[in-house]
Amino acid sequence: MLGYIRLELIRTMRDGGYIVFGVATPVVMYLVFTNLGLAGGDKHHAAIFVMVSMAAYGALGCAFNNGSGIAEDREAGWLRQLRLTPLTSLQVVAGKVVTGVVGVVPSIVAVLLTGALVNHVTLSAGQWLSMVCLLWAGTVPFSLLGLGNGYRLTGQTAGMANIATMLTLAIVGGLWVPVDGFPTWLRRIAEWTPSNSYASLSWHVAFGQTPAVREVAVLAGWLAVFGAYALYGYRRAGRTA
Amino acid sequence: MSLESVTKTFGPVRAVDDLTLAIPRGQTVALLGPNGAGKSTTIGVLLGLVPPDSGRVSLFGAGPEQAVRRGRVGAMPQEGGLIPRVTVRELVSFVAGTYAAPPPVDQTLELARISDLAGRRVDKLSGGQGQRVRFAMALAGGPDLVVLDEPTAALDVEARREFWQSMRGLASRGTTILFSTHYLEEADEQADRVVVVDRGRVVADGSSAEIKRVVALTTVSVTAQGEVQWLATLPGVRHLEVTGDRVHLRSGDPDATVMALAEAGAVRDLEVTPADLEDAFMALTSKETV
Repeated sequence: MLGYIRLELIRTMRDGGYIVFGVATPVVMYLVFTNLGLAGGDKHHAAIFVMVSMAAYGALGCAFNNGSGIAEDREAGWLRQLRLTPLTSLQVVAGKVVTGVVGVVPSIVAVLLTGALVNHVTLSAGQWLSMVCLLWAGTVPFSLLGLGNGYRLTGQTAGMANIATMLTLAIVGGLWVPVDGFPTWLRRIAEWTPSNSYASLSWHVAFGQTPAVREVAVLAGWLAVFGAYALYGYRRAGRTA
Repeated sequence: MSLESVTKTFGPVRAVDDLTLAIPRGQTVALLGPNGAGKSTTIGVLLGLVPPDSGRVSLFGAGPEQAVRRGRVGAMPQEGGLIPRVTVRELVSFVAGTYAAPPPVDQTLELARISDLAGRRVDKLSGGQGQRVRFAMALAGGPDLVVLDEPTAALDVEARREFWQSMRGLASRGTTILFSTHYLEEADEQADRVVVVDRGRVVADGSSAEIKRVVALTTVSVTAQGEVQWLATLPGVRHLEVTGDRVHLRSGDPDATVMALAEAGAVRDLEVTPADLEDAFMALTSKETV
């Protein structure tokens, strides 16, 4: 299974779309938002707030990109080829989940490093560590949603569905524009999105607060929903592949 | 390996119909049949990709999934398996690594005649090269049974020739090989044994020489006008076909047929064409005969 993870990671790292959209875009957007004064308010506050937003946004992009890859793999006959090797289907699914989870790390690290080195964000070692962990672990629900789409839909449709879902979650979740600027009704919705809960965990940490139980609960709820969805998608794909 | 009374239907279509087939170790067997004969479904059932409606599959004393998991089987499906952004060596090494005791990757690359492509990206290969990479994936783990579904279907003549050269290298090592094809000459030239499948059933099974002997019919053609159906009753004639004023008689005893034609005074522009596997195949899979 390690061989499978290695192969999938090699493929991910050579994927131009992954590098551009998953790693480079959030870094560039972070620099643009914070240094062109678009974020408004206190510059230091913005540097921290947008750093978390963009790290979350990049991680979301990578997590969904991994799911889109599944649909392409199925169409390329790769899933069938894997079924003809001694690997079990559990190993294959687990391998893909691990690839997705590892694949979000460069994006998170790139944005946080930009924050520390370029925008001079200073936080305690504990804060940095907690944020990396929260941003990292929090991508699992999104990975599962992306995988579910990947298993259930065909290549191009899955790719588009994933990009659309990712952008919707990013925007409604307040990763691009803080929810404070939203009309009340939209803010109510935002508070129930997994993306907002996901980023809120790290926003709290970044500003020295304790993450709220509510955010953890909302994210855990979505984890269960998306996990069931991914499982349903995989079972369906298994029947037709 | 063996299939025992395997049946698989897709809606109203019986893709595989009570098919029984056993292959001893070390044999190279061609599964020959026209498109839609049930070859791919048979192979799918054999590999555990397609669950049969009824019947039993046994590979090395286990079910297909178990045999695959134990690394006894290597397979090359009809298409697919070439993923972008990896090199030939990375891909073949990965497949080899999923097996417990694979042969050295260099050896596999050499056998599949792709050593010179090792560093190339898989998605930038020609059809023939890609096919040999897929072949390499089937043998990368050093399996005891290699199953190839229409390995040469999309290849040009030259690529096919190269492919079969690789295959012969594999056969000479004692690996059991099952391949499907609708190219008659491939079955004829490459296999120890030819199993002809039509409409999901085995209609003939033997060496290509045996298949020809049993069913291949010599074609006796003459020019004739008017009522010609009586020609079908001549000795040896099994099948009659009329194109324009030519009558083609497929005969199991061409000597007797020609003698009878001569006695009847019907020898005009006589032409006798010996059987090839194509004829045998036609005879086996057409409804009118056998």
